[in-house]
Amino acid sequence: MSFLSVRDLRVHFPTIDGVVKATDGLSFDLERGKTLGIVGESGSGKSVSTSAILGLHRRTNAIVSGEILLDGVDLLKISDEDMRRRRGRDVAMIFQDPLSAMHPYYRVGNQIAEAYRVHHDVSKKAARARAIEMLDRVGIPQPDRRVDDYPHQFSGGMRQRAMIAMALINNPSLLIADEPTTALDVTVQAQILDLLQDLQRDFDAAVMIITHDLGVVAEMAHDVLVMYGGRCVEYGSTKEILTHPEMPYTWGLLSSIPEVGADPEAKLLPIPGNPPSLLNPPSGCHFHPRCTHRDKVPGDLCWTVSPELTPGTRGDGHLKRCHLANPDVVYEREVLPEIAPDLVEER
Amino acid sequence: MVKYRKRLLAATAAIALAAGLAACGGGSDDKSPDNSPTGDAGAEGAKGGTLYYYIYAPYEHVDPQRTYVGVELTNFRRTIYRSLVAFPISEDADVANTPVPDLATDVGTKNDDATEWSFTIKDGVKWEDGQPITCDDFKYGASRVFATDVITGGPNYLLSYLDVPTDKSTGLPIYTGPYNSSPEGQAAFDKAITCDGNTITYKFNKPWPDFPLAVASLSMMDPYRKDKDQGAKSNYQMFSNGPYRIEGSMWNKNKGATFVRNDNYDETTDSTDIRMALPEEIVFNVGQTTETIYDQLIQDSGDAQYAVTSQRVPPAYYSQIVGDIENRSVLVPSPYVDYLVPNFRRLTDPAVREALKVATDAEGWINAGGGEKAYAPAESIVNPAVIGYQDNPAFSGPQAGDPDAAKKILDDAGVQTPYPIKFTYPQSDTADKQAAALRETWNKAGFDVTLDPLGDTYYDVVQQPDKDSDVMWAGWGSDWPSAITVTPPLFDSRPNLTANSDGQDYGAYKSDEFNKLVDEAANAADVDAQTAALQKADEVLGKDVAYIPLEIAQFYFLHGSKVTGYMNTPASSMYPDLGPIGVEQ
Amino acid sequence: MFAYVVRRLFIGVILLIVMSLVTFMLFFLMPQDPARVACGKNCSIAQIKQTEKALGYDKPALTQWVDFLQGVVVGREYPEDKTLREKAPELISDCAAPCLGYSRVNQVTVASEIKEAFPVSLSLAVLAFLMWIIGGVLFGVIAAVTKGTVIDRGIVALSLVFYAFPTFFIGLFLLKFIAIKWGLVDVPSYTTIAEGGIGGWLSNLFLPSLTLALFFMAGYVRMTRAFVLESMTEDYIRTARAKGLKRGPVLFKHTMRAALTPLVTMAGLDFAGLMGGAIITESVFNFNGLGKLVVDANVSYDLPTLIGLVVLLGAFVIVANIIVDVLYAVIDPRVRVA
Repeated sequence: MSFLSVRDLRVHFPTIDGVVKATDGLSFDLERGKTLGIVGESGSGKSVSTSAILGLHRRTNAIVSGEILLDGVDLLKISDEDMRRRRGRDVAMIFQDPLSAMHPYYRVGNQIAEAYRVHHDVSKKAARARAIEMLDRVGIPQPDRRVDDYPHQFSGGMRQRAMIAMALINNPSLLIADEPTTALDVTVQAQILDLLQDLQRDFDAAVMIITHDLGVVAEMAHDVLVMYGGRCVEYGSTKEILTHPEMPYTWGLLSSIPEVGADPEAKLLPIPGNPPSLLNPPSGCHFHPRCTHRDKVPGDLCWTVSPELTPGTRGDGHLKRCHLANPDVVYEREVLPEIAPDLVEER
Repeated sequence: MVKYRKRLLAATAAIALAAGLAACGGGSDDKSPDNSPTGDAGAEGAKGGTLYYYIYAPYEHVDPQRTYVGVELTNFRRTIYRSLVAFPISEDADVANTPVPDLATDVGTKNDDATEWSFTIKDGVKWEDGQPITCDDFKYGASRVFATDVITGGPNYLLSYLDVPTDKSTGLPIYTGPYNSSPEGQAAFDKAITCDGNTITYKFNKPWPDFPLAVASLSMMDPYRKDKDQGAKSNYQMFSNGPYRIEGSMWNKNKGATFVRNDNYDETTDSTDIRMALPEEIVFNVGQTTETIYDQLIQDSGDAQYAVTSQRVPPAYYSQIVGDIENRSVLVPSPYVDYLVPNFRRLTDPAVREALKVATDAEGWINAGGGEKAYAPAESIVNPAVIGYQDNPAFSGPQAGDPDAAKKILDDAGVQTPYPIKFTYPQSDTADKQAAALRETWNKAGFDVTLDPLGDTYYDVVQQPDKDSDVMWAGWGSDWPSAITVTPPLFDSRPNLTANSDGQDYGAYKSDEFNKLVDEAANAADVDAQTAALQKADEVLGKDVAYIPLEIAQFYFLHGSKVTGYMNTPASSMYPDLGPIGVEQ
Repeated sequence: MFAYVVRRLFIGVILLIVMSLVTFMLFFLMPQDPARVACGKNCSIAQIKQTEKALGYDKPALTQWVDFLQGVVVGREYPEDKTLREKAPELISDCAAPCLGYSRVNQVTVASEIKEAFPVSLSLAVLAFLMWIIGGVLFGVIAAVTKGTVIDRGIVALSLVFYAFPTFFIGLFLLKFIAIKWGLVDVPSYTTIAEGGIGGWLSNLFLPSLTLALFFMAGYVRMTRAFVLESMTEDYIRTARAKGLKRGPVLFKHTMRAALTPLVTMAGLDFAGLMGGAIITESVFNFNGLGKLVVDANVSYDLPTLIGLVVLLGAFVIVANIIVDVLYAVIDPRVRVA
């Protein structure tokens, strides 16, 4: 059995207007030392799903069902107190915007040490020493001095390093990084990603990295899970997904990556339309209103029948949720020339 | 006089009957609350106990030469400040308006033209420190009135009456008081008031036949101890010669004071006709709101059982004054009259003023203002409690307003209607309703009325000579029970009308006929002659429509159940009279 | 920080001087003539002039203002009359520097009026402040953590009721029922600690403080509730939970610290305002504090008292502002650097 095994995870929010199905039947596996990238637009259910793993929906009106097996323990079945003890110790999280994710009124070192003291019965002094050690480990210069700074006195990159230090201080076995580089500029992004990779090797943690940026995925992840409208629409190894995607939504994501150093005049192809409503999702395939390939599917299948996750044409654990009969051909012939003509030429 | 008695009877039926005055008016079907004193039914209560007196607004002065508010004067006259003469305790105005000797041996001796008055001070009368009250103390008290830049706010009659020359440059007497006067001024004053042993003589520059009334009503002629005088700083100091003294020598403006027995008071020098001095202590409690005062009085628990108040029942509480509580209430006419003043600068046509008078619905005004618990009808600007009161023939009878008759007057005089007029009055919710009632009949009569309610400042506005009001509201009460303190100060154009101000003659009324009668009254050597002249003067005012009487405000009071001898008398300006009031123990 | 406070104090003093000037000007622009009112009935122009002199309003307004400022620095005597000083020195009142003025109406220095009224207002304000802060924050937090439940709705509805009723109504209501009808407490009358001990002081202050506190509490309940709810949605609260912190520390350490910061500012200014602003409560309960002094001074056209109070209450607000700003810097490290 995998280290982390999520089965049919559903997070539903009852509202006056109906049930919002933010996550609707998500399943995946992750081993220690491996990284899973979860990709999707805003509102596709990425953050809601990872929050469920941390048990952050407890004591809210969210209805969470399915299984989240971490090292064989179903995190949805354990008590609130048990879950709380695992938070930060077994499962830690790095948030998107470190400025707002850190308390503005407490010193950085304090906040890091606090994370340590929650799970370790040590003196403040010992926790502080540990915090300095971690700050040093994540590459903050003069950590014994900067430990007493407030978050606003740190630069954006340093804040994210501090967040990472806070997340890793308890040596968690699962690290969830929720868009860890979105708020940072490009050079700092690269540094942070390098750091994360370094640390993962050192700590041998399982890492989930949530992003809408396939570039980040390409650099970090072993596996990729593409989410759309609360569901997994494509899943597989990073290499497989990036080179042979078989779901039109994934194609759209690929086409919307601006290439570093690309001609600014070059055509960017954002996915037309809006993300689906999670309250009243479209009938059939959730993606069909925005899909440019639905006419290739015979009849009104895309409108009426929700496609199942089925193995991709090349096998090897690749899963996709699409009615297209020959997505590999469509990709090679129609999509690739559009989004990367240079690649086509190379082949 | 007969009329006056009938009125007083209506208000104080029980007492009048008890006093054997039934002959004047017969049985009363008056529905006003029981006015009989509670407890021992007016009989002498026992001495002792603590009486509470609830006051809302702070007293501005307690210095005898500076006090000028009726209720304050009488409260202190009955307790702390004795004078040469005083008004006796009585609900019968004839008795109540006749001064009796207090610190003086008799009610004074005057010369033939009433320009000189002499009083002899009783032996054995003392200040609270045991020193005798001397003629010089009286003289010193009177001298303080002249220090107009120190002793402000009090009655200033002495300045114009006392035979001290006037300084032409200032318009004030050459004597400027005991603190800082020129030797000439001092000499003039020493001639005007003389002491011969225990006899004090006042010399006036004109007749003052009703001088004893002024002495009894006001405390400006009270004695004052020179060694206790600190000028303006003595404003809240009380040095007693009466049955009580103030605990701690100073009246606290915002809290009041406790009066305790004065050990150096000898009751044999005094009369129970003036002061019974029943309570052992009197606590004056200043500052509670009218609502709080009445919540406590209605509840009748704790100190409130032993309490009286000078605050009137607020209209919102009328409905609570029923059953047993009603037995503790009194409804008596106040010593004030409210009236309308036509502006003679604008309403120059006598027919217009006459039509205005005829159309005025005083009953509507009364009803809009709360009815009989709030007001009684008035038939003159002079209050019925004043000596020599008579209905003004111009305003006799019911005054519901007769717009048809008024319209005829306007039409006959060829006045173009609608005739625009502006009515100015001090704004309040009640006054707005009352003004609307007046406007109704006025408009029917052919006037086109604009209401002009004024906010914070009222009298300063209507005193301005260039005001554009056509009719103004005003109210007045006498300083002592003589019409000489009513109509002359309000309608004599000579002291009132100046370039900058109309003084108290808000309508700028100017009549040689009236002024002549005022002079006649002022120069009268006795009260009867004075009264006769003033009655004629009031008739002139009525004929000219110098004013239109509206009503007499009613006093509606409640007192605690353990209060004995409760009375509202003319001497106490119809407020609770501390002379006879005691408490059960 | 020190230089900042000094600068703010300096600006505050200038502001107070301007405020006193404006008050002088406004006073003399009133249509009502205080001397005419004080002189009483039947006063001739000459007598009104004399009364004006007695009240100290005979000089031009600007001269009076300069005299006032001079008095603050070097002291004054009232009245300033050399011949009177010789003839009747007992009539002269001394007012040593810093002389805030001398009330001719009450015949005491403004400083001693304030000295008498200040403890009353301070007692009221402090007790009311404690009641409303404790009650407001407590009920606000309870409402926030029970959001949407019957408890939350009950607290919010009740606070709306108290907020909607005018203070004088609540005051009269409490007085009428609790003190008079049911006799649960005596009708309050201010008692100093020296007179009545802590118990007497507190029991007399209870109803008026409660009256004041109920009104403010209503506002603070709703504000606290809103601030707590708002800060509960902050990212750093999610971070705190993700660290595995217990609910207690998350609420009291992380949520409240952020939620209460804006309350500190408001509470500081409300408290300062209350020092001279409890006019209605002081009148209803007949507590002779600064608020009632303001009203009385207004009614009796007592300019020196008014000026003294304007300056004092202005100083309260200015100092409170500075304290609040300094406090804010202590609470929020981000402000410190700026």
